[in-house]
Amino acid sequence: MSAIETAGLTKYYGAVRGIEDLTLTVEPGEVFGFLGPNGAGKTTTIRTLLDLLHPTRGSARILGLDSRRDSVAIRARLGNLPGDFGYGKRSSGREALALLARLRGLADLSRAEELARRFRADLDRPLGRLSRGNRQKVGLILAVFHRPDLLILDEPTSGLDPLMQEEFLALLREERARGCAVFLSSHELDEVERVCDRVGIVRGGRLIAVERIADLLEKTTEHRRVEVEFAEPVELGEVRRLPGVTGAEYVRPTLEQVFLTYYEEGGRE
Amino acid sequence: MSALVAAQLHERRRSLLAWGLPIGLWSAFVVAIYPSVEDALSKAIASYPEALKQAFGIAELASVEQYLNAEMLSLIVPLAVGYMAVRSVASALSGAAESGRLEVLLSAPVSRRRLVAAGFLAAALELAAVLAIGLAICLLGSLLSGAGLSFGLALAGYANVWPLALLFAAFGVLATGWSLRTSVVTGSVAGLLVAMYVADLIGRLDAGLDWVRYGSAFRYYGRAIEDGIDPLSFLGLLAVAVAVAALGALLFERRDLAA
Repeated sequence: MSAIETAGLTKYYGAVRGIEDLTLTVEPGEVFGFLGPNGAGKTTTIRTLLDLLHPTRGSARILGLDSRRDSVAIRARLGNLPGDFGYGKRSSGREALALLARLRGLADLSRAEELARRFRADLDRPLGRLSRGNRQKVGLILAVFHRPDLLILDEPTSGLDPLMQEEFLALLREERARGCAVFLSSHELDEVERVCDRVGIVRGGRLIAVERIADLLEKTTEHRRVEVEFAEPVELGEVRRLPGVTGAEYVRPTLEQVFLTYYEEGGRE
Repeated sequence: MSALVAAQLHERRRSLLAWGLPIGLWSAFVVAIYPSVEDALSKAIASYPEALKQAFGIAELASVEQYLNAEMLSLIVPLAVGYMAVRSVASALSGAAESGRLEVLLSAPVSRRRLVAAGFLAAALELAAVLAIGLAICLLGSLLSGAGLSFGLALAGYANVWPLALLFAAFGVLATGWSLRTSVVTGSVAGLLVAMYVADLIGRLDAGLDWVRYGSAFRYYGRAIEDGIDPLSFLGLLAVAVAVAALGALLFERRDLAA
């Protein structure tokens, strides 16, 4: 049984196309990246899967159930983080958590508390007084605290600092190891590459490719560029004179890589 | 359901005092000044045209209950509480959609119908609480000023506002089936509230236009503070409110919940 299985899923807003003929599957224990620029149809797809939007035609099965008819039963086993998480300015994360726990029939909030500590999320301050990143952390906790079988995440790391993005990716790996399927909509290609097993690329509302990450990269690189690390500093001229080499350049670490070295265990002072 | 209702009431806790206090204080003021203006009012009223007195329910102001009805319960309280009712359901539905709360709640195993029912029930409780606060302060004003307001009649007068206001909460639910913009929902139903009041007023001013009152909920509102509650009108308005809210829930279930 697939976690998500859509067949010709189509949504039009009047005459405007949202998504068209979207057919894909996501398996349990798989992290599926859903890529595309703004307006490509990523959020429309997610809202149709969640039954917030009714499809114009086509169908979707979530965890073996019909996305429309069995929507309530599906949501008992699903976690969702909207792109720009909001809940009302005056409510705190703890109030939202208490309500969702009651609606899910859960009394034990220990996992939510543990996640709050891990992500350094403030559950007591009104959400209206939190930054976007800190609100997003609360939303993430609400999405995963009940150990769902399927996680649907729409741009989950927007607003998170690089450290929390790393923690988020670690959490996704743990969820995958638990058997949870993850549908991750993002245009952070670096994070998708690092955590996803397969990706679907959507353009103008249509799914134009579904590939394993490794296969996708294999197709495009053609093995003409190789990054080599030397034990000692080298002169580029020497490398360029090697047979078959047409060019060589120094590869600087990205700012993110440098930044992270300051926070790694035993990292530089 | 109870969790959703409790959460909605918690979210709207400030509005209980924000609406209940002014209504109560104003009512208390009206009651408190009655003994000192009683004679002057009777003379002034006697000079008013008969149709005008009929229209505004001020045929005579021989008691503090009649004065409270003319000043508060025939116009200000039903309009204010009716508007508050719309805001309450709009906050639970369209307001929640605008803030993102609706999407979070609908990530949990809750049906849309249950969500609407909880919003409507919370509005009903909020209305009852605001009217109870208003009544309590009004009675306190009467006690302190020695105006002699009858508890039973005052209770009937304020309780009678409840089904009328609830009907406008139901129209709010219905409007949410059409639009998820709070300004559209509150604006359209507030317009309907005023239109119904004006239609009722016109019908009472001109006997030839009495038929227009049949389309207005205010025709069935009456003067409970003077005559007691008419059970048929009270239950009739309540039944229509529930039916309109149910229709709104059906529309809400069928609509897309995003732009």
